[in-house]
Amino acid sequence: MAILPREAPGVRLIEVLNLRKTFHDRKKGDIPAVRDISFVCSPGQVFGLLGRNGAGKTTTLRMLATILAPTSGTAKIDGFDVNDRAGEVRKRIGYLSGDTKLYDRLTGRELLEYFGQLTGMASPAISSRISELKGSFGLGDFLDKRVGKMSTGMKQRLSLARVVLHDPPVLIFDEPTSGLDVLGAREVLKIVRDLRAKGRTIIFSTHIMTEAERICDEIAIIEKGSILAQGTVDSLRRENGGGSLEDVFVKTVGEVNGDA
Amino acid sequence: MTHRSWSVWRKELRDALRDGRTIIAVFVVPFVLYPGLMLFMGWIESQNKKEESTLQVRVAGVDAVLVLPPGIQPAIARGDSVKVELLYKDADHKSSAAEERTRPVLDDVRRALIVLWAQSHGAQVNQPPAISVEHRDVSSKAETGRFIAALVIPYILVFMVAAGSMHIAIDTTTGEKERSTLETLLSTSTSRGELVLGKCMAVITTALTAGFIGIFGLWFNLTVLAGLMPALSGQSLQLTIRPDQALFIFLTVLPTAIFLGAALVAIGCFARSMREGQTYATYVYMAAVFLGLGSFRQVGAPPIGRFAVPILNTALLQREILTDTVVPIHAIVAIGMSAAMAAVMLVIATRLFSNESVLFRT
Repeated sequence: MAILPREAPGVRLIEVLNLRKTFHDRKKGDIPAVRDISFVCSPGQVFGLLGRNGAGKTTTLRMLATILAPTSGTAKIDGFDVNDRAGEVRKRIGYLSGDTKLYDRLTGRELLEYFGQLTGMASPAISSRISELKGSFGLGDFLDKRVGKMSTGMKQRLSLARVVLHDPPVLIFDEPTSGLDVLGAREVLKIVRDLRAKGRTIIFSTHIMTEAERICDEIAIIEKGSILAQGTVDSLRRENGGGSLEDVFVKTVGEVNGDA
Repeated sequence: MTHRSWSVWRKELRDALRDGRTIIAVFVVPFVLYPGLMLFMGWIESQNKKEESTLQVRVAGVDAVLVLPPGIQPAIARGDSVKVELLYKDADHKSSAAEERTRPVLDDVRRALIVLWAQSHGAQVNQPPAISVEHRDVSSKAETGRFIAALVIPYILVFMVAAGSMHIAIDTTTGEKERSTLETLLSTSTSRGELVLGKCMAVITTALTAGFIGIFGLWFNLTVLAGLMPALSGQSLQLTIRPDQALFIFLTVLPTAIFLGAALVAIGCFARSMREGQTYATYVYMAAVFLGLGSFRQVGAPPIGRFAVPILNTALLQREILTDTVVPIHAIVAIGMSAAMAAVMLVIATRLFSNESVLFRT
């Protein structure tokens, strides 16, 4: 298994500076999806990106995962720039989106072995890590079952195991509870908390206020590709005259849309 | 090929082997369906020939009609020229067979009338025609087998390679987009070049397997099965390919399989949905079949320019290999051109797979 050096506490593990993404459409012209956003996440922190559907959360996270290239600006993961050191960045991240699926015709074990190989792990390391995750993620009952025959909850646990298989220091979760029932979502949030407790840095996007409130150390409210407010849940509440996070969100987003 | 590309190759093949559609395209269709159909068509044809031999012309019946003009007898007696009509349907198998059988009878009548006319004018014409031609095929089964092999194998190979690569190429690219597994793959530390190379290799392996099974199916059905079954014994042939021919054929089909596989992967990267991908792939498949047919219809030595046309060149060269008439310059042009096209197509596939505006096209 690739052991990557861990940054000292207090160092910025995720650093985003003036990141911008513009898509081009033949009919509509340029469509700005993310507009010059900047933020920083420290090790062992859960950083929440809170926004409506289409606010720019997924595009931001895809740029951090090097799936999309930024139009301008930069982002560094563990000191490596997504623009010119994409390979190094990908070694240090685990990316999971609520929309992403798994290969239905593979078994859980085959899937984990495949992704272990793609992240450069040696076979013995993959086997030992699978045994480890089998217990901690409760995969024992269905690890040798084909993915296509698993329930949504089983698939999500397997997806999470896939993400942490190579033990990356940074985890990028894009609406990981999307499509899950209450129990499934609670299970995912518990795993996220456990990972934070183990010192992993997590960037977590959601449009569910209660989730963000329960799990995030710091939150950025994003709307129309721009960050409107950023801080801890308590500081955001204080700055907006109290109330719940939902009140803060509605007020902040409403102001920019002229609804407040 | 890196270790990671081999991992992609293994995974794609394992995935494909668990997909019923790939099994049908790679194993069932080449081994059972096409050779089986060829045998069946041959058997139908032989049955029809048997029927033809017993077919009698029924004048004024449904098969063919001989129309004699009024007053034909006095006209012939006077030595006048008369015109008779033979009505038949070319599109009707029995009718056209009746026409074929009637024609020599009419020729005999005409010849007899000429003799009568010549005799009535004092000529000594009482000998039958000096030469009668009887057609008899003296080819051995082995010779016929070689001829059929040279004609059919290049076409079958091109056809099966294209058919075998179609589904997996689209499934491994557009399928990843449609099933939302692509992002997961792209966020791993494996480079896009390694990913696309592994995918192309899996497509090429499947294509070559389909081609091999196509040839094996042809041999098994025409040589073994037809020999065992009395009803099909008329269709049995001795299809033989020497090891050196097999090796040379493999060397010619390899760059073509790479070219076709990479072209289909490139199409899969470009397509937004499986449906769109399969539509484009069908065009490539049709082009391959059309070019393969070009070799099927080639009579005599082809001009060198044809060895520069991808796919067609492979089929033409394989024909030369199977008839032991390889012209070195033909081989150099064909293999060189196919290899160059394969390299270009691999680069295009890699570029498209690395281009987010293509990969995430909406």
